[in-house]
Amino acid sequence: MSDTKKTIPLREGLWTDKGHDGTPHLLGHRCLNCGEVFFPQKENGTCTNCHSTKLELIELSRKGKVFAFSVVMLRPPGGYYRGDVPYALANVELPEGIVVEGLVTDINQDDIKVGMEMELTIDKLHDDDEGNTLMTYKFRPSAA
Amino acid sequence: MKKMREVVVAGVGITKFDSYDGEKGRPVREFYDLGSEAIQKALDDAGMEWKDIQAAFCGSVYCGTGSGHQAIQKVGLTGIPIVNIENACSSGISALRLAYQMVGAEIYDCVIAAGFEQMPRGPIQSTAWPVWQRQMGFNVQPADYAMKTVRYMEETGATEEDFARVSVKNRKNGALNPNARMQKPVTIEEVLSSRMIAKPLRFLNACPLADGGTAVIVCSRDKLKSQNKVVTVAAAALVTGIYGSPRIPGEDHVTKSANEAFEMAGLGPEDMDVVQAYDTMSPGELWDLEKLGFCKKGEAPRLLREGHFDLSGKLPVNTDGGLMSRGHPLGATALAQVIEIYRQIRGEAGPRQVADAKAGLAHAMGAGPNSGVIILKR
Ligand SMILES: [Zn+2]
Repeated sequence: MSDTKKTIPLREGLWTDKGHDGTPHLLGHRCLNCGEVFFPQKENGTCTNCHSTKLELIELSRKGKVFAFSVVMLRPPGGYYRGDVPYALANVELPEGIVVEGLVTDINQDDIKVGMEMELTIDKLHDDDEGNTLMTYKFRPSAA
Repeated sequence: MKKMREVVVAGVGITKFDSYDGEKGRPVREFYDLGSEAIQKALDDAGMEWKDIQAAFCGSVYCGTGSGHQAIQKVGLTGIPIVNIENACSSGISALRLAYQMVGAEIYDCVIAAGFEQMPRGPIQSTAWPVWQRQMGFNVQPADYAMKTVRYMEETGATEEDFARVSVKNRKNGALNPNARMQKPVTIEEVLSSRMIAKPLRFLNACPLADGGTAVIVCSRDKLKSQNKVVTVAAAALVTGIYGSPRIPGEDHVTKSANEAFEMAGLGPEDMDVVQAYDTMSPGELWDLEKLGFCKKGEAPRLLREGHFDLSGKLPVNTDGGLMSRGHPLGATALAQVIEIYRQIRGEAGPRQVADAKAGLAHAMGAGPNSGVIILKR
């Protein structure tokens, strides 16, 4: 392809497009000492709970439940977020015992409820200044 | 914590909180003007002169390098140590805690804590979030509060009407406070029909921004110019975040700060006659009262409905209108909380005076996270 425009992840290391089951998974760290799980990966390689440096890279579960959410009606300061307003954010609790914040897509924003089953999806965030498409992780209602 | 000598409040000063931006006929005032006005007022209140002050701790968030030096040089240049403190919304209480410890530990006899702010014009940069999170739109403070509110509703059954009642109570109290930015009461209907900012929070659930200055002078008892109606600093606590997750429930830093303060003071929640809880967003006041130990989790909405937290109630809360009425100059807010408790205990709160207030608690918390608690008593 001669097209120089690329599809690039918002940030390396947040997820893998092809996990053990061939589908996308968020990437986190599990502490081998205390068992605590972190997302995103701990850049400093240290467990915040027990301070151990023995961490293993893990794929997080694709599905979780809405722990809390909001529909944001104003544009965030700084111009970093370039998507639509209003937009929905949710804290999704994964079976690993952690809560992950993310954008919510593929749903009527008025229908989001605490406890609702969500699943991971990799979706477009926005085009950057060079015309590349930035991709990010989002949550959408789980397909049962 | 080591036993220290008694520390008393010598005097306090506060400016009117307002938007000093030159718009709509409002004057332009810089942070150092607001800070120095508050400091001068505190000196007058204490019957002291600047040369009586041996050290200064100054809280601000957006005022830049040497902000305390700039405010103080308008009052005096005596070579004393001045230390500037940026601890987000707890900056003022962080400054007062250090002043209290310096006097308590007998390093100095008379120290001033100041807090002031001129809020940035235009959007505030949210450096507390990494860039990738800002790109995903996480950097909206009301959205964080909204998610906490959703959890609180889920766990306690509290309603949007309960949150509106906090705004109504505080704005009613604020109408009696000439220093407050907002002095017009609001109704439940007005709150519930104000525009949504981050579901379920609306415009009138949020405190407005403001600029302002505050100052509190503390000293040893022998340095007081008058022994009339002496107010003692019974406790000053500051606690930061404690690790927790759904798997490992960590101790709540607000509860810990209150527990530490009550232990220091040798008093309990039942001994407090007036409370300044933290109401940047109106639901926050409810869970704050619960976390500080004034009632059990989920009880605050019912107590509010029953008038428990009204000016005439059993435990008046945010008698000066709180952040909701005063507005929120970040570096000045925490000491404004303390100054109201001082006024109430002195019996100087005018039309919003609580009958026979002997002890009270002031709370400030926010980014960091930080949670600062001051207890004053007669
Ligand atoms: Zn660990």
